[in-house]
Parts: sequence; C-alpha cells; structure tokens
Amino acid sequence: MGFVGRWSGGFWGLARGGGNRYNGGMAEIAAPVAPLVTEKKEKTDPKEMRDRGYVVICWNDPVNLMDYVTHVFQMVFGWPRAKARRHMLQVHETGKSLLARETFEKAEHYVHQLQGYGLTATLEREA
Amino acid sequence: MKVMRSPKAERAGHPYVFHLSRREREVLLATLKLYPQLDIRHHQLSRDPKARGAADQQWLEEAMAQEQEEHRKRLGEFFNNGRRFFKGEEGDLVLTLTGEQMEWLLRVLNEIRVGSWVRLGRPELEEARRLRLAAAQARLFTAMELSGYFEAALLEAFS
Repeated sequence: MGFVGRWSGGFWGLARGGGNRYNGGMAEIAAPVAPLVTEKKEKTDPKEMRDRGYVVICWNDPVNLMDYVTHVFQMVFGWPRAKARRHMLQVHETGKSLLARETFEKAEHYVHQLQGYGLTATLEREA
Repeated sequence: MKVMRSPKAERAGHPYVFHLSRREREVLLATLKLYPQLDIRHHQLSRDPKARGAADQQWLEEAMAQEQEEHRKRLGEFFNNGRRFFKGEEGDLVLTLTGEQMEWLLRVLNEIRVGSWVRLGRPELEEARRLRLAAAQARLFTAMELSGYFEAALLEAFS
C-alpha cells in the first residue's frame, strides 16, 4: 500500500515551515504472497466456527498511505496501533493480509467498511 | 498545514486544530471540489466470482453510492459554512475539527486520491512522476498528490 514515508518538501510552496510527513511515496512491487494465517484463535461456539468460511483480505496498492491504512485498521477492527501496523506492513511487504475470518455477512460488512475508506479489500471463500 | 495543540478547542469538543495559510485553504477547497472521483463499479466484493452473488455485488454498489451521496451533501455544507471551520483574520487561518469531522475529511480526501490514481490507470507512483503527462493526466496526478498532502497533515494529528 501506499505507503509513504516522510514529506520531502513543500508542494508548490503550500507548506509553511517544514510541512508534514507526506512524500507521495510508493509501495514496492508485491512479493510472492504469504500463506493466509490468522492472527490468533478466538473462542467461539462450534456452529459459528463452521460458518466462518470467509476471509477478509486487504490487498496491496501503491496509493494508500501507510499511516492511513494503519488508522483504518484501527477504526474498522478496533485494533491497537501495533497490531494495525503489523497488518499494514504485511500488506506492504507480501502483497496482502488476512484481516478476519468470518461469516459471509460479517465479512461483507468489513469489506464495505474498508472499501468505504478506499482500501482494496475483498472477501474470499476459504479454501 | 500543521496540527497544533489547543486545550481551549479540546474543551469545546474540537480536539483537532490546524494552522494553514490562505493559499492552503484555497487549494484544500479546490481539491475537495473534485469529489467524487471513483466510479461505483470500482468496488468489488470479491476477486472470486463464486464467492459473490450478483445481488451481493449490487448491494455493495448501492451502499457505496449511498455513502458517496452523503459525502457529497456534507461537502456542500462544508463549502457553504466555511466560516464555521476556518477562522482567522490577517495571515494564517485556523481549521478546527471534531474527531468525527476528521474521519470524514480523511475519507473524502482519500477517495479523491484513490479515484485519481484509478483514472490515471493505476500507475506505480514513481513511474508516473517521471512521465510527461498530458494536461488531463497532470490534473489527476496533481489531485492525487494534493489529497495525499492534506491526508498526511490530518494523520499527523492522530499520531
């Protein structure tokens, strides 16, 4: 994802005295995709586990800013910053990250949320 | 555009305060006027056709269209009530936002950034910077860069 480091200078003289951290950076080309692995196992009832046949995946792109993606993961999933950043880096470095394993309805809800923020996210049926 | 701390504004429920020049305000408003940039059909529920039904895909597109309409209405209010958001007399201006307004502005700016990039043909950004762009492409590229600049300023306030 986009993925940006630091702002490297003013844009058309807009920034006064330094400016912010945007440098319009870009992502590297996605490396071969890592296997899908969940973050941690949660306690759920067996029926719900059976229904959780869908995964929510965020895909790499060169346009979304790194800090923005981290922020969105925090907002959508309620994750602490460190976990959100870990997933953002996984997208950046491997091309994608599995964000959730859910029922179709919940996965659809997350995809809607993430796409509403402009991220490239989809739901996929788990193999 | 730089974030600044303002205990007074925080107490008043506007925890996010930014200093910006008049020129920055003009450019911010000109950038926001480009909303929306993304075609609703850009939104795909799944990459696997088997994982999505036509009705589910249609639901997503309708939901995104509704969101886009809400953002558009809200932008109209933002343009019409500029004085509520931008305060200042001579020289620099102060933009004060609630957390919810920050979220909204970030989403709108990011839509302009991503939408401009999609319209440019989804280039790798470094490659696009080296190209000689036609006027229409240059406008899209500028919109993408400017929205990124303002997004970064807003994100700095969260960190």
